[in-house]
Amino acid sequence: MDENTVVNESKQYIVVKLDNEQYGIDITFIDNIVRMQQITRVPKAQSYFAGVINLRGEIIPVMSLRAKFGLPDKEYTNATRIIIVKPESNAKIGVLVDEVREVVALEEDNIEKAVYEEQGSNLLGVGKYNDTLISLLNIQGVIQDLDNA
Amino acid sequence: MDLSQYLEMFIDETKEHLQNLNDQVLVLEAEPDNIDTINEIFRAAHSLKGMAGTMGFKRMQRLTHDMENVFSEIRNGKMSVTPDLVDIVFKCLDAIEEYLDCIINTSDEGENDNEELINMLNACLKAEGAPEEAKPAQPEVKEETKPEEDGDKRKFLHIDIADFEKNAITEAKAKNMNVFGVTVYIDESCILKAARAFLVFKGLENKGEIIKSVPGVQDIEDEKFDFDFSMLIISDKSLEEIKKIISNVSEIKEVVIENYEIPNNVEVVSSVQKEEKAPEKEEVKKKKAAPAKSGKPVANRSVRVDIEKLDVLMNLVSELIIAKNGLVSVSNQEDSKTSMQSFNEQIEYLERITTNLHESVMKVRMVPIESVVNRFPRMIRDLSKKLGKEMELIMTGEDTELDRTVIDEIGDPLMHMLRNSADHGLEPTIERLKLGKPQVGTIQLNAYQDGNNVTIEVIDDGAGIDVEKVKASAVKKGTITEEQAEMMSEKDAIDLLFRPAFSTSEKITDVSGRGVGLDVVKNKIEGLGGDVEVSTKLGEGTKFTVRLPLTLAIIQALMVEVRQEKYAIPLNSIVTIEDVSVHDIKYVQQKEVINLRGTVIPLVRLDEVLDCSPREEEPENLVVVIVKKGDKQTGLVIDNLLGQQEIVIKPLGKYINIHRMISGATILGDGEVALIIDSNALV
Repeated sequence: MDENTVVNESKQYIVVKLDNEQYGIDITFIDNIVRMQQITRVPKAQSYFAGVINLRGEIIPVMSLRAKFGLPDKEYTNATRIIIVKPESNAKIGVLVDEVREVVALEEDNIEKAVYEEQGSNLLGVGKYNDTLISLLNIQGVIQDLDNA
Repeated sequence: MDLSQYLEMFIDETKEHLQNLNDQVLVLEAEPDNIDTINEIFRAAHSLKGMAGTMGFKRMQRLTHDMENVFSEIRNGKMSVTPDLVDIVFKCLDAIEEYLDCIINTSDEGENDNEELINMLNACLKAEGAPEEAKPAQPEVKEETKPEEDGDKRKFLHIDIADFEKNAITEAKAKNMNVFGVTVYIDESCILKAARAFLVFKGLENKGEIIKSVPGVQDIEDEKFDFDFSMLIISDKSLEEIKKIISNVSEIKEVVIENYEIPNNVEVVSSVQKEEKAPEKEEVKKKKAAPAKSGKPVANRSVRVDIEKLDVLMNLVSELIIAKNGLVSVSNQEDSKTSMQSFNEQIEYLERITTNLHESVMKVRMVPIESVVNRFPRMIRDLSKKLGKEMELIMTGEDTELDRTVIDEIGDPLMHMLRNSADHGLEPTIERLKLGKPQVGTIQLNAYQDGNNVTIEVIDDGAGIDVEKVKASAVKKGTITEEQAEMMSEKDAIDLLFRPAFSTSEKITDVSGRGVGLDVVKNKIEGLGGDVEVSTKLGEGTKFTVRLPLTLAIIQALMVEVRQEKYAIPLNSIVTIEDVSVHDIKYVQQKEVINLRGTVIPLVRLDEVLDCSPREEEPENLVVVIVKKGDKQTGLVIDNLLGQQEIVIKPLGKYINIHRMISGATILGDGEVALIIDSNALV
């Protein structure tokens, strides 16, 4: 019984790393996580798009979260992953991150809601988990305001 | 009942019936006495009515119902087919098409009652002295849903009777027969209402004649009624006898029966008023529902596939599974030498299957061009009437197949060209006679496959294009100067026709001549990867030739390399590939050009437009791919040629901004993604 109530109130997030910061992405939007593979550059696209990849015969644009957040480029390592996000039922987009750490379940109580004026629309809030802080990404916001960025 | 799942089927079938009707009515116009055609029209109208009724499209049902009435009369030899009638029927078909369009877009038939058309149809019936007065379907429908609080259980009083039924009643009365109005109420807990109703009808069958029932017998059999139905019976039996027969059927709650008198005029008027109120209510309801729907068409696009094609696909897929299993077993073999050999065999097998699979899938996507061109005879007929010119359309190669995506787009351009030929091409009949040409102008529409292309020709035997007139008009409009006009070759002058806002017709008709025609045609066809050509002979006619690729999804492309990146250039836009020495590059207005066999061709450095890192050292020789868009040529400078390849075009996905010069991407054999360059954007 107790377990059930916990599950109901909590949401699962995939925790990814960019440099030393941890970000959480709502697991319901995530389609897949793939290893780094060859990315084909697309000329004249938005600067934070690394290019496109071939995911089982489907061509998917890949954006670099580092570039999007204005962080300097970093070499791809063995830990680099592309998270395939599905913000809408008919569209997929890849998000390039340094590392994928774990899946955590956060309860509402442990999340501090973002104040939009301060944080911008990229973050939903900050979650506390085992003494560490996880910035929860508003993944739809990150992807959708591409035009203004 | 939720009918949305049937909507697609309904739309498809309605389209088919409409097309059929159009074809048949055209035949009918030519041979007004063809009884087969009349029967066919009647059947199609009847099916349309039934389908519209089932789906609850009452306005459409009503219109088709009246059409059916007319053809029923014609079929019975009580009316003859007149040109006027054919015109009205064509208008009705247009109206039905409007309903259908509305349904496709909003899943609702709209609010146009087409009262005028219905009146015209009925007027035709009356004018021919037909005994049957067309009865609107609506009151019937209303009848069944009328709430019981009416107080009067004698619902049969509300039955609308047509003239011939009146006649029957009067006749019966004259013969001293009894005419009863009956309303039967079935127990609300009854499950098989239709069966009970059937028993009632069966019981009465031997005792008298049921001249009318509301709802209709068919509807009752289909259980399309609430818990009551009404009818008029002519019988020689007494009232009690009839009542007993009905009451004997189980689960009948109540039988209301009375001697029936033909209602007087007052009642008719009141029922007419009610009629008018009902649609209003409906409209309010529909208006509320409408905004919730998005602008997207409700129905998906679908392709009807020949079952044989599907069987072939199925077979290939099962072979694919066998091939996969073969590979699995090869990988389990221990002896490496034999395993290598059988591995290669399996790969070859797999290759053969995928090639066949590809071919079959393409075939599934192919649709005969017939589905587009079969509406043209009707259009030419209308144009012929409207323009007062005699003309006929001869079509060949309607079974030529094209990819579905192309078929969807090609209809409008073709229609434009045909209209153009009919309006501008063909001379008025009097003029034709003067010129000694056949009185009836001919427009030909030929389609045939030509290698990897499909060619469609629109040929008319009209006046042809007066090149001088075109030039003069262009000069007048300021499109070109007089000097330019003098220098212009015939071909260039004809190409002026494809410029936006150009029309040589002095008169603007509503058929064509607004000058928005040919440039749109050209754009659309080029957008489909095809091209248009015109050839003309003054006084003898004009020929438009449209060439279209068989399919859009798979193209032949030249793979090239720019720095380390691979790009694909569609082969159909490539003229030649040249090796150019850097010393041969000249400058015109600071832009690089080369002089290739007498033609000056501008150069585009692909590495620059594609934002590649600059080359460390400029080589002595540049590889230049010469591409064309229409008559214009441009040289694309690349690093390396990789070879020709068949590629599958894929979209780049949402969210990413794509420059005009990239038309898509493709996946290469090693899984790498290569972008496809749209050379049209660079020329």
